[in-house]
Amino acid sequence: MLSDREILSTLEMLRSEHLDVRTVTLGVSLFDCADPNVDGFCDKVRRKIMRLAQNLVAVCDEVGDKYGIPVVNKRVAVSPIAVVGAAFGRDDLVQVARTLDEAAQAVRVDFIGGFSALVEKGFTNGDVSLIDAIPEALAHTERVCASVNVASTKAGINMDAVLMMGHVIKRTASATAHADGIGCAKLCVFANIPQDIPFMAGAYLGVGEPECVINVGVSGPGVVRKAIDRARRATPALDLGRLAEVIKRTAFKVTSVGELIGREVARRLEVPFGVVDLSLAPTPNVGDSVGEIFQSLGLGSIGAPGSTAVLAMLNDAVKKGGAFASSYVGGLSGAFIPVSEDLNISEAARKGHLSLEKLEAMTSVCSVGLDMVALPGETSAETLAAIIADEMAIGVINRKTTAARLIPVPGKKAGEKAYFGGLLGEATIIPVSNGDLSTEFIRLGGRIPAPVQSLNN
Amino acid sequence: MTRMSLHTEVSAMPALKVVISVLGSDRPGIVAAVSRVLSENRCNIEDVSQTILQSEFAGIFIASLPEDFSMEGLEKKLQEHLKPMGLAVLVKPMHEADRYEAPPSEPFVVTTIGPDRLGLVAGITDVMARFGVNITNLRAAFRGGADPRRNVMIYEVDIPLHIDQQAFRKALRQRAEDLGLDLSLQHRDIFEAIHRI
Repeated sequence: MLSDREILSTLEMLRSEHLDVRTVTLGVSLFDCADPNVDGFCDKVRRKIMRLAQNLVAVCDEVGDKYGIPVVNKRVAVSPIAVVGAAFGRDDLVQVARTLDEAAQAVRVDFIGGFSALVEKGFTNGDVSLIDAIPEALAHTERVCASVNVASTKAGINMDAVLMMGHVIKRTASATAHADGIGCAKLCVFANIPQDIPFMAGAYLGVGEPECVINVGVSGPGVVRKAIDRARRATPALDLGRLAEVIKRTAFKVTSVGELIGREVARRLEVPFGVVDLSLAPTPNVGDSVGEIFQSLGLGSIGAPGSTAVLAMLNDAVKKGGAFASSYVGGLSGAFIPVSEDLNISEAARKGHLSLEKLEAMTSVCSVGLDMVALPGETSAETLAAIIADEMAIGVINRKTTAARLIPVPGKKAGEKAYFGGLLGEATIIPVSNGDLSTEFIRLGGRIPAPVQSLNN
Repeated sequence: MTRMSLHTEVSAMPALKVVISVLGSDRPGIVAAVSRVLSENRCNIEDVSQTILQSEFAGIFIASLPEDFSMEGLEKKLQEHLKPMGLAVLVKPMHEADRYEAPPSEPFVVTTIGPDRLGLVAGITDVMARFGVNITNLRAAFRGGADPRRNVMIYEVDIPLHIDQQAFRKALRQRAEDLGLDLSLQHRDIFEAIHRI
């Protein structure tokens, strides 16, 4: 028999704390679609995605209904297109992006990831064509997400790629200038990209992954926040050690839900189950915010001194609880701080509590990086590249994933608002200090060597 | 609530099994009184469960009788001892043949939240009965205090696999809406996943 408390607290999590499964992402390998002819390739890609993903949405909804836990997003991640479409030029790759978009629409998923290249050590011809195709591909599709891995702890930082991405981000913003540069919201630059991320915009199916796999991204910032509030109300003298324990236990619950639902979806689709990504992923809804957790832990706002310490503790506690709940943990696994996608973080940026520099500092202890950060439209490609380089350095040195999803909002200045809509939210543009002082450094190019892995200080 | 299975010195002959239910105001000594009568008359308790609802005790005992002792004899002895304590006793034979054979089914939890009024349980359970959904546990969890919206009923049910799941869900949700109840229907595993290791 279940206890009343077990039943009522579960209901509470669902009804007022936004407990849900943020995304179930079906990885689809496209290696067997390789074809020297782009039409032939696109045809095979379309058929394969439609065949494997046709029941994804229906099955996720059925399973969500069975357990009373909504699966908010259903997505598809494919093999890196720069690899499977290495033979194609820029225009052909734009056509491939359109095909991915159509296939995603046909199977009713909201995003499809994998318009990606892995260039941490250097470029193939396919990589160069794909990166060049990104602005047009993102401007002419709705659901396609692109990612480029420019750095890794084993390879160092490909600074030529970093500069190239600065330019690509600028071009993508201009190509989608009518919508505040929304194309950039679908483009991530990574260091140490994991092969099994279920979350967008970074999801792609790595080359070591199976033919087809289900990866799950959990959520739950609202649940964590309410658990902290309840614990502090019940015992006002609770210290951070005890609060970390509360977060850990809550992360266990949230992850167990993701694991249960992911496994059942995988079983029904007859696809292997991959990983649970233990992430606190916010949405632009009240009560579903990572930023609010900072306030529940006694900070006036995210971004205030103490924020990095809070985030470090939060991220670690989420991993500890989550790792106990699931044997297969992967993806990004940690707390996200996407500025525009989190109402509270967006508000902190508006009030000036959260600067680019503080965000960067926080990314050294959390799972992602400079995520959904709206910058002035006049920010140069070189400055963007320099911001990316800093973010990559944090990932490379700390042997962790970091990413930059920067949006230089065309025609808008710091303090103005950018509107992306839906899950992508809205954000106040934050200033980039020091103008264009990084240009000479960034243009030096080359590859920053891989760091030594001992002498850790 | 306690539940246990006791097996002691059971005779080789298939003994008569009886179900004894005891109802009355809760106080210390009820189970002791019942079990004393049973033991004095060499009746073996095979299974037992009790619950307390507000101030009321309800106990159900399954016992096997020795060959030379009748059910009527046991009932008489029980009445003698328990009636003066204000306890109502019912004894009936237990027939294996009467047992409900549950079809293959999956365990779900239905909760309804809403203002109390006449006929809520009747309305919801009517739909369950119509679809052959068996209630394995039912309780009210009043958490509202002054807030009438927070009257909660929890039904643990087994939903047979062979019935039309969608039709059942639809009928149940429709009935809840008619009754002004906020209803949720969730597979039991989700509660275990969240709360148990």
